[in-house]
Amino acid sequence: MPPTPAETADPESAAVDVRALTKHYGKIEALRGVDLVVGRGEMFALLGPNGAGKTTLFSILATLRSPTSGSARVLGRDVVDERDAIRREMGIVFQEPAIEQRLSGRDNLMLMGLLYGLSPAGARKRASEILGQLGIADVAERLARNLSGGQRRKLELARALVTDPRVLFLDEATLGLDVDARRIFWGQIRGLADNGRTIFFTTHYMAEAEVADRIALIDAGRIVALGTPRELKTRVGGGIVSLRTDDDARARAWMRERGFVPEEGGEGITLVHPDPAAILPDLLRNLPVRVDRAEVHSPSLEDVFIKLTGRGLDTGGKP
Amino acid sequence: MISGIFAIVVLDLKRFWVDRARLVAGLIQPLLYLFVLGAGIGASSRMGGGDYRRFIFPGTMGLSLLFSATFAAITIVFDRQIGFFKAVLVAPVPRSAIAFGKILAGAIQALAQGLILLPFAPLAGASMDLLQVIEMIGAMTLAAITFSTIGVAFACRFSSTTVFPIVSNAVLLPMFFLSGGLYPLRFAPAWMQVAAHLDPVAYAVDLMRGSVLGTFFFPVPLSLGALTLTITLLVWAAVRVFNRGEDDSSLGATHFHWRR
Repeated sequence: MPPTPAETADPESAAVDVRALTKHYGKIEALRGVDLVVGRGEMFALLGPNGAGKTTLFSILATLRSPTSGSARVLGRDVVDERDAIRREMGIVFQEPAIEQRLSGRDNLMLMGLLYGLSPAGARKRASEILGQLGIADVAERLARNLSGGQRRKLELARALVTDPRVLFLDEATLGLDVDARRIFWGQIRGLADNGRTIFFTTHYMAEAEVADRIALIDAGRIVALGTPRELKTRVGGGIVSLRTDDDARARAWMRERGFVPEEGGEGITLVHPDPAAILPDLLRNLPVRVDRAEVHSPSLEDVFIKLTGRGLDTGGKP
Repeated sequence: MISGIFAIVVLDLKRFWVDRARLVAGLIQPLLYLFVLGAGIGASSRMGGGDYRRFIFPGTMGLSLLFSATFAAITIVFDRQIGFFKAVLVAPVPRSAIAFGKILAGAIQALAQGLILLPFAPLAGASMDLLQVIEMIGAMTLAAITFSTIGVAFACRFSSTTVFPIVSNAVLLPMFFLSGGLYPLRFAPAWMQVAAHLDPVAYAVDLMRGSVLGTFFFPVPLSLGALTLTITLLVWAAVRVFNRGEDDSSLGATHFHWRR
């Protein structure tokens, strides 16, 4: 259904609206029919292993690639027909560094402002403002290549925010940052979301996805689950027993004989059970293998992913 | 559109300024031609050393403009590889603005290099009065725009920084050698004279030489027309390639693929 201009101007339209979206690269089907609606002001995570289609979906929404079929709309605008309108209203933080290493922090931001049609003086002013807001005013005069990893990522964020975008896309934005720097980074992103911006981010770190209002799990080009972190975890249906043994295959076989259903895949043995603490002593006493480690915990997003796909998040491909 | 062109020019000139030492390095090649090659060949030519240096000064100016404009254009190939350009590509700027910005920035860089070489003219025996200097700078400007367009039209088709210099040498050097920059076209074999008529560098060098020596090989309107035509055709070709890249973020180069 072709969009009419009147529809696209609708301020009530979803921040992201994807229908039956596919993308093929030659014979490779990177996306095999994705449907997704993200509301305005939502903080939304796209979680999945490498190669699942995260970056492809991201690139289409960010107007960097065209869909093969289906439709994708951002802020009610079509990503192909109304590319420039979307570009004016979005900011992107890329997986790879997207700042010019040979220029200062301020020059990087100023150039972005110029590209978005600000006057030189306006771009300069905006650059200082945004650096101040993010607490990195000190990088203004320094060359980007001399900054620390965390400072660079903040500069990337500043670059994406120069135009005060209504939607912020982040693709694996914290890749390579240490835990502290990541926590600070997500704190700032949360602040942006609380101010009414829509945040759409991809990640393969589970802990990062937890900060989102809703999460879509993507695997092999399809959304396999969608919901709040809490909803997704209840899908596992109970608690988790994780075991490390000296012979996992034998342990699994033994468990199946006893009527337990250990999950396929993942590291070690994962068993979902309505009351894991009650069965653990029995398992430890009777398993015919040596148990190196046993753990009972409530389900993590990784458990959800294993349950739904039979694989761990880190096994999908190379980073 | 205008703000996009402006932003690209500012970006390139800022980066150029970071590497401004290149301006000095860029003097070496033309000065070698002028004072070493020029002294050697001049001494054994009918013109004699002084006249020959004066004769090839516009030629070495052409060489300098040609190489610095092309070098500036190579940044297109690099830009595809650096992340910063991805941010440029998702800005609401038409791809044609990127093409125009690149051409303009390259021309400015080449002209800056040329203006540094210009004061060496008296040393080469090519003294000029004010009017000649103005004519010369006008011809240099047209030459710089032409060469920058040539560079951009070529560079935008390449995705590899290793192949581009090889190809550009295979194109630039013949264009320079055929241009009559180092010898009078008038005495050249017929085939070279014919080839020179197809060589934009020849027209550019002839315009510059005319403003120094006062005599032209090509009629001036023909030179102006040929350069204008070259610029128009190549701008059109470059914009087409840049636009083709809209879908795949590659700026049109066929073999470049953005990581999925």
